[in-house]
Amino acid sequence: MKKLALAGLLAVGLTGCSSEEPQVLNLYNWSEYMPQEVLDRFTEETGIQVVYTTYDSNEAMYARLKLLDDSAAYDLAVPSTYYVSKMRQEDLLLPIDRSKIEGFDNLDPELVNLDIDPENKFSVPYLWGTTGLAVDTADIEGEPVTAWEDLWEDRFDGRVMLTNDMREVFHVGLRVLGYSGNSTNPDEIEAAYEKLSELMPSVRTFNSDAPRMPYLEGETDVGMIWNGEAVMGKDTMESLEYVYPEEGIIAWLDSFVIPKNAKNPQAAHQFISFVLQPEISSLISEEIGYATPNLAARDLLPDEVADNRASYPNATDMINAEFQTDIGDDALQVYAKYWEMLKSGR
Amino acid sequence: MTRWLPRTYLTLVYILLYVPILVLVVFSFNESRTGYAWGGLSLRWYEALFSNRAMVNAMWNSLWLALSAATVSTVIGALTALALHRYRFRGKKLLNGMLFVVMMSPEIVLAISLLALFLLVGLQLGYVSLLLAHVTFCLPFVVITVMARLSGFDESLPEAARDLGASDFTMTRTVLIPVIMPALLAGWLLGFTLSLDDVVVSTFVSGPSYEILPLRIYSMVRVGLKPEVNALGTLLLVFSLVMLMLSQWILIRSKR
Amino acid sequence: MLRGLRQPFRTGVLILVWGWLLALVLAPNLLVIGASFLTRDPGTFLSLPVTLENYRNLLDPLYLEVFLHSLYMASVTTLVCLLIGYPFAWALSRVAKDRQLLLIFLLIVPFWTNSLVRTYALKLLMATNGLINTWLMELGLIDEPLRMLYTEGAVIVGLVYLLLPFMILPLYSVFEDLKQELLLASHDLGAGRLSTFIHVIVPLTLPGVLAGVMLVLLPAMGLFFVPDILGGSRNLLVGNVIKNQFLDARNWPFGAAASIVLTLTMAFLMFAHRLSKRRIGEEGA
Repeated sequence: MKKLALAGLLAVGLTGCSSEEPQVLNLYNWSEYMPQEVLDRFTEETGIQVVYTTYDSNEAMYARLKLLDDSAAYDLAVPSTYYVSKMRQEDLLLPIDRSKIEGFDNLDPELVNLDIDPENKFSVPYLWGTTGLAVDTADIEGEPVTAWEDLWEDRFDGRVMLTNDMREVFHVGLRVLGYSGNSTNPDEIEAAYEKLSELMPSVRTFNSDAPRMPYLEGETDVGMIWNGEAVMGKDTMESLEYVYPEEGIIAWLDSFVIPKNAKNPQAAHQFISFVLQPEISSLISEEIGYATPNLAARDLLPDEVADNRASYPNATDMINAEFQTDIGDDALQVYAKYWEMLKSGR
Repeated sequence: MTRWLPRTYLTLVYILLYVPILVLVVFSFNESRTGYAWGGLSLRWYEALFSNRAMVNAMWNSLWLALSAATVSTVIGALTALALHRYRFRGKKLLNGMLFVVMMSPEIVLAISLLALFLLVGLQLGYVSLLLAHVTFCLPFVVITVMARLSGFDESLPEAARDLGASDFTMTRTVLIPVIMPALLAGWLLGFTLSLDDVVVSTFVSGPSYEILPLRIYSMVRVGLKPEVNALGTLLLVFSLVMLMLSQWILIRSKR
Repeated sequence: MLRGLRQPFRTGVLILVWGWLLALVLAPNLLVIGASFLTRDPGTFLSLPVTLENYRNLLDPLYLEVFLHSLYMASVTTLVCLLIGYPFAWALSRVAKDRQLLLIFLLIVPFWTNSLVRTYALKLLMATNGLINTWLMELGLIDEPLRMLYTEGAVIVGLVYLLLPFMILPLYSVFEDLKQELLLASHDLGAGRLSTFIHVIVPLTLPGVLAGVMLVLLPAMGLFFVPDILGGSRNLLVGNVIKNQFLDARNWPFGAAASIVLTLTMAFLMFAHRLSKRRIGEEGA
């Protein structure tokens, strides 16, 4: 009798314990990029469960999506501009049915209909932000840090943090040399690699899971950080400052896309609509510090958020800013090669 | 050798081994989040953990995977050991070789080889792929444990059973299995442990349809302070201990 | 064939066992060997033509350095495990028999908290504002927090912590087998403690040492999550390179080649292990 029960249990177990499940949305997003409250409210309103998985780089997201290509693993992903373009061109995305989405018109006209996705057939902007300098003013003595170039100073030996992002790190290297962060010139990229190699001994760690943490934990004192992380970090540690470097800030945009083999595109559309509601967009911006492209949401922001220069830079901050654009697959390969060399080298 | 030196040394090493575990357990009850100051006794992290459906789900999945992997690998491993010990057939060296390769291979080599296989065959990554992978790396340990027991074993009993006309299967069931039972349990325990502990293989062959612990908390653990992870670690430990005690209790009861 | 029908159980068992091992051990490893000679393909991961390019890339000074540094960290890990584990195993084998089982059990209990969680606990301890620094500062022993995290040392500590039991268990096994009589005989022949140790104990426990080394050295090169969590940017293991190639850079042939190199290192160690066993005069398992 006991044996039969055990066998039965085993059989159930081996088939993976499936049972009647409510509708599920598989959301694949950057880590620390969606307040739990938004997911909870979505589930409350629609009854759809959200399975939330995270990644820390476009490359990791892309590789995973390709690996799980046929198994319809994810319903929504949030790539950066140049990956939207790449995935669109590689036919990896499902067209977004505009009729199923409400609130698209709230979006800033400057951030829609970009070259990366003409007429936004495949993507809907989620958040935009900047990558700049993080400075722990409590632990930095001497001259204030004002430029990317400052990171190379000897006094920061072993105290620098970089985001684990190939394009952003090379962007810094390129700008310091006077080149464009969107360069496709292999010579310039190689020069950037050489320059960055000089920085490596100073780099204590790379982090794209939650770039504010090494600063908060006292492991690093200066380096790169995303503006939203800086805002969240400052809440915990007053001395963490977000600085717009002289050479120019890096600006980027992340958008929702639906992978071609998504199991539940219906839920994906519903989620996009949900997020586009001004109230929700404004909540997100307030919670995690990034800028919402939703103009109706911006009107709802409390003053302290709307006036926060880290989240919403003014014109002076954006001098020399460079928006991350698509550079094509060939150039990406060149970057990838040097990035690997940079990470593997010592 | 002075009496106390070996014992002191043992104690010292055990303390070092358990300090991180104790840190996990103790701080899972810590009220405060930031800094490492003790803020008072609190269950808030357990509450936070249980309100996080994804984490709880991953925890159950990991436990279930470990249970099933241990069981399946014990069955197959025991049969393998029996076959190697009792039967004569060609290719024993190859069989032994393959088992040895699995046991000695770094997990990452195992992981990528299985990933390549699953992709080639078109197997969707999820519970099945995980189970197949986990059973495979537990197998050699079960085989060795059972073989050790079998080699010191009196052959006259199964011979007697055979003479009495029992079939192979019956003989195995009624004579051999009770004898190797301790080895089966030890092997099962080993398999359970290895499966629950695994990070490398799981990273490669798991899919989002069956979320297990390592991937779920990988990002969290790199983010830094996440006391829910302390609570999680403590719970895993407690569950495993409870389950072990349960199995011992069942064993003692069945012996009567 | 006929015998197969007459003994269905036996046949069934053999089919199951052979099937499992051939499908899940032999085939995948052959796949990896094959993949290491193929070319990268962004769409299907692998494609022709057959090439030696991947192995050549491994010889690139950059990767060679990663391999050597990884080997170095793994070797230090193994050495530390040996230094801690050898006396431990000896002491363990001397404890009262009924206690031994419990003590061995205590060795594996920590594994029930997933390795990742345990590595995280180490991070809690070693962080700049972590527990060790907090305690040391409160005790007044140091003024500035020690920078323990994101260093080579941190990775080694992590690896030792996770792999120590794998060194202890095979060592314990050979110490268990060590016949007291041999030790007594050596003593009777007038050998001093040190001499006995060098000429009797060490050679007899050598297979155990080598088994322990195998069980620690290779995994120590592959546990990528330890550098990920404790190592910062510059202390990568071969395992990190392999993982990166497979899961990020999607260069499967190159990752496969790196994996083969690890496997060859393992084969070399296995060979050494066999030799040592043969010298003792036992039949290898």
